[in-house]
Amino acid sequence: MSTTNFLLPAGFEALEPFVKFWAVAGATARAQRRNDCSEQERAAFYDTAKELLAPALAYLDRKPLNKFDEKEKRLMNMLLSLAHVVQAVEVLAQDEEKHAEARRHMKITRATADLNS
Amino acid sequence: MTMQPTTYQLPSNEDVAGLGTTPIPAGPYYRDDYFELEREAIFRRTWIQIGHVCELPEPGSFIVRPIEVANASILITRGKDEKVRAFHNVCTHRGTHLVAEESGNRASFTCRYHSWTFGYDGALRSAPDFERFYVDKSDCGLRPVAVDVCAGLIFVNLDKSPAQGLGEFLGPIAEQLETLSISRATTFAEYVYEIDANWKLTFDNFQEHYHLRFIHPRTGAGARGPDNPFAYPVKFDFYGPHRTESVWSNPAADRLPIQQFALGRLAQIAAADVSRNSSHAKDVFFLFPSLFIQGTPVLPFVHSVMPISATRSRGVVRLYWIGEDDNATESFAREYSMAMARDVHAEDRVVIEAGQRGLNSGALEFIHFQSQEVLCRHLFHAVDTMVQAHRAGRGAAGVVA
Repeated sequence: MSTTNFLLPAGFEALEPFVKFWAVAGATARAQRRNDCSEQERAAFYDTAKELLAPALAYLDRKPLNKFDEKEKRLMNMLLSLAHVVQAVEVLAQDEEKHAEARRHMKITRATADLNS
Repeated sequence: MTMQPTTYQLPSNEDVAGLGTTPIPAGPYYRDDYFELEREAIFRRTWIQIGHVCELPEPGSFIVRPIEVANASILITRGKDEKVRAFHNVCTHRGTHLVAEESGNRASFTCRYHSWTFGYDGALRSAPDFERFYVDKSDCGLRPVAVDVCAGLIFVNLDKSPAQGLGEFLGPIAEQLETLSISRATTFAEYVYEIDANWKLTFDNFQEHYHLRFIHPRTGAGARGPDNPFAYPVKFDFYGPHRTESVWSNPAADRLPIQQFALGRLAQIAAADVSRNSSHAKDVFFLFPSLFIQGTPVLPFVHSVMPISATRSRGVVRLYWIGEDDNATESFAREYSMAMARDVHAEDRVVIEAGQRGLNSGALEFIHFQSQEVLCRHLFHAVDTMVQAHRAGRGAAGVVA
């Protein structure tokens, strides 16, 4: 696989399998991804992304948010999805599915990350 | 120098017993007739928070907000003179709602019905074929609504002649609020919810910690400690119809890995900016009638509970931040903080609705508040004082003994 086929910046290849599902724009869509995934899917994403979170943010912090290229935007959106999934994996654990029904009524109408581009 | 106690000390029952110990009547939490009294005695004549000045960043900026309890829609503008004004969003020709958008920037506002056009100062600027009317333009300005700002928060009062200005209404709390980081906020994240519950029952949930270990066993775990298993506050204070609590910080809170990373980053950002320091950073403010303000610059949120009917309300939660997201790390930390707060409030919403369903049955004549639920008791007393004064025809007009 040539590097031109990669969807994320170099160094974050381990996250490539998660791009399609988790790299979505908009906080509402990211919160919905948390609802739509299985326990195994979110655990796999969390386990992989956890170790790469700090280096990925350090990489992205080198650029202003509105200067990201497409690969960097995908990486940022994935990390923002992780911000929601963290709650499911670290905090709610086995209560996550029951909690999803309660969350359905809490409509996100604005997120600061959505104002960056 | 006063040393911070290393172990939790419960506020004594005697400290709050002055507010009474008797049961509270259940009717005011579900009855339509009581709600109608609240509508007139409180919501048509009390200062209600409706937005933040960061939503009006420049001349021509405007926002439109509903106040369902008063069947009102309010247009708030910032003029070329920088002044913030509020009006009923009602064309003075035949009453059409003037502005349909929730926010924007305009030099003037034109009614879609017959093209009457108003300035940001509310004056009628032009109206087609106006010489055929039997009224002066100077009598056709938008109907003004009293408006004022404290700590960046915009308040309106639907009384044509409010008995108190905002400063008098807030009293000593106004100065405390001005020290909070929300007073300098320039942006915010927001989530909203509708709930089948009375506005007081809803707001009361956020005025007591007694439920925390049962309703938030996971999302609230870090707030509890061995010597404070209920995460009770360390102090309550009362200011007329308003009240505050000082929250307890668990020194041994066991943070989870990424949670620690995100909250740690927000704490670093807050610590690096001395302007965000406030001696009230550990205080929570409960402004009458139903505005919750959390002082900490790490998670600075404002939660408004707006009544819709006796048994339906809408909650608006905003996390107010200074500056747009500066970089990826800040974006991540802010997104996480919103997800975290939203999870807690989602749990609250479910159990509040369950409480309302029980009350609606009429099975209970009274509900009970323990000493650590004293803020709920205080809200009921503030409400009922105004309602009874209004009922007696004396027009309480914001005065609470």
